[in-house]
Amino acid sequence: MHDDHGHGHGHHHDHHDASSPEVRVEALEDLLVERGLADRERIDATTQRFEHDIGPMIGARLVAEAWADAGLRRRLLTDADAVVADMDIRGAEIEHIEVKANEPGVHNVVVCTLCSCYPWALLGLPPNWYKSPEYRARVVREPRRVLAEMGLELDAETEVRVWDSSSETRFLVLPERPAGTEGWPTERLAELVTRDSMIGVARVTDPGGQ
Amino acid sequence: MPPDAEEPTPATRGVHDLGGASGWGRIPYEADEPPFHADWERRVFGLLGPVTSATTRRPGEFRYALERLHPDDYFDNGYFGRWLAGFEVLLAEYEVFGPVDYSARLEARTGPIPSEVRRMSPELRVAPVADRVPSMLPPDRPVPVPQRRTVRRDLAEPPRFGTGDRVVAPTPTQPGHTRLPGYVMDKPGTVAKLHPAEVLPDSTAHNRGERPQHVYCVGYDARTLWGDDAEPNATVYVDLYECYLTAAESD
Repeated sequence: MHDDHGHGHGHHHDHHDASSPEVRVEALEDLLVERGLADRERIDATTQRFEHDIGPMIGARLVAEAWADAGLRRRLLTDADAVVADMDIRGAEIEHIEVKANEPGVHNVVVCTLCSCYPWALLGLPPNWYKSPEYRARVVREPRRVLAEMGLELDAETEVRVWDSSSETRFLVLPERPAGTEGWPTERLAELVTRDSMIGVARVTDPGGQ
Repeated sequence: MPPDAEEPTPATRGVHDLGGASGWGRIPYEADEPPFHADWERRVFGLLGPVTSATTRRPGEFRYALERLHPDDYFDNGYFGRWLAGFEVLLAEYEVFGPVDYSARLEARTGPIPSEVRRMSPELRVAPVADRVPSMLPPDRPVPVPQRRTVRRDLAEPPRFGTGDRVVAPTPTQPGHTRLPGYVMDKPGTVAKLHPAEVLPDSTAHNRGERPQHVYCVGYDARTLWGDDAEPNATVYVDLYECYLTAAESD
């Protein structure tokens, strides 16, 4: 379907054929803008918000606060919606949030097998690997193998809980707080918390660099 | 492209219903991926709001456009490629602009295009939504719609199941959008928790009303799902709408 095509139409798009997404999205955008159905400045503003302002640092703040405050941790695990509202976190894909805590003997990991649902307002847009058919197909059937492949080995005694985001509920993993961080301010704790750890495919590593 | 299926899957499973599908290889992991890998992905993402405003904001309808795509269009250009094809489907079905306009724009960029790659045309490889009408939806029970745009609804009816109840979701006999993953169909699970009630995407995706449902988080022991292939000590939790579920016979 991606035919060879000649060059030299004197047009800067001619390295793509009509089935290429580059050409198609330009055509769609032009038609929508001309009809007053889309505004290029708003399109740019939306994408820039998701490139710069909305990302894993929001979820990392929640995690760090929960590490630092046992009362907040309890609320986050029982009524995350209230905590999210209190922290004035708003946006898409957080209709109802459930936070699942990793602890000794229990490891949580999140997927959306039917689509690629993800808590955008807490973690930003999902990475490609999360949206890949490989991850969506395999992590429900062989979570230990998938996690090991991604660098996270779990012992046989640890229970694995896989959360498939099939309704409008969105899941966030509360990773275990690494040793050696006692007394750290939440800002410094938040810097340790990675996107992967809040999806459940990585641990938060010790600040000692382990 | 998806690998050839090594085992039969229920007829109701669509291209998107990937949970447990065999034959897929290594996770294409990349550390610290950015949200977009090319400018065209950025543009597609930015068009989500305009396209849904011009067509539909009903829950599930855009997803159902993706689920009806030909596997090539679903997989070939990744997540945003799938969105782009879904936009083409919705814009054509809602007649926001026609295939002639669109083809003309494409040809202005590429020169004459062969009909087999023409989009939004009669050759568009998508299963028509009109041919896939869900016929066995639960009765509608209108409830007040909150002012804020949300899929959550307050139901007066109490939930049919409680935590610890054994339940099973039979394989659906009707076509259409559903949030019931194929890999749990006909398998017994245990209600772990209730989530807030929501409108039923199986209905809203087809413009058949909200029909709100209680939603249950149902836990499935990996051995129940995968038999002898199951990894030890694993549970998969799936969120299911009440109308999917019946009481499981005790085992």
